[in-house]
Amino acid sequence: MSEKKTKEALDRRGFMKVVSLGGAAAAASVAPGVVTPAAAYDPGKEETKARYRESEHVKAFYRTNSY
Amino acid sequence: MARMKFLCDADRCIECNACVTACKNENDVPWGINRRRVVTINDGKPGERSISMACMHCTDAPCAAVCPVDCFYVTVDKVVLHSKDLCIGCGYCFYACPFGAPQYPKVGNFGSRGKMDKCTFCAGGPEADLSPAEFQKYGSNRLAEGKLPLCAEMCSTKSLLAGDGDIIAKIYKERVVKRGYGSGAWGWKTAYKETVAI
Repeated sequence: MSEKKTKEALDRRGFMKVVSLGGAAAAASVAPGVVTPAAAYDPGKEETKARYRESEHVKAFYRTNSY
Repeated sequence: MARMKFLCDADRCIECNACVTACKNENDVPWGINRRRVVTINDGKPGERSISMACMHCTDAPCAAVCPVDCFYVTVDKVVLHSKDLCIGCGYCFYACPFGAPQYPKVGNFGSRGKMDKCTFCAGGPEADLSPAEFQKYGSNRLAEGKLPLCAEMCSTKSLLAGDGDIIAKIYKERVVKRGYGSGAWGWKTAYKETVAI
């Protein structure tokens, strides 16, 4: 009976050893040199292009606001 | 290059809230969000003044300065826009903005407020111009249509001016000269005291 318990305990320890080793390996794989830095939003020319133009519609707005 | 600006002539604003309504309708703004609002001081007393406020599209905008994910960008027209795909709803921009412009669709703590929403100067967002995706996230893109923000175009008393900063400043100066009693602008005396007159 006690022999069986000891075997179970050893199995459990073995399992924990494997898990801890796996964890260490996972931590090593995300070492600082490997991490990709977060990139700030870099809008392209299309997003930031000028959309305003002095159309007839806009000119009418300026004219009617002048009085 | 034109620099887009809003200018509210406080002497003309009658607090009708048409700008607020026009903005909500044009941009299909969600419930609980007002991209524009009318602020009244000394309500019902002599010297009452109303001013229509929204994002002022600041140069060196504080919202952009504090954003932890850098989701803000400025267009060539100097309109401050942001990407809702990147926004994490942290709320920092709301605390940084002196005008209370950034708004959130939900009430909650860090990250559970939803994506920030603010006035886009009717210039849409990073999606393709006039696309359904752009309208769904940011509202209409009137600038791409050769128009100006609807809030200003709807203003019945021509109080709210929008467009090229140089042109609307010239229009405002002409009004002030015609009135002949100084600026009348809200905050003028606080900023420039009695000694500076125009």
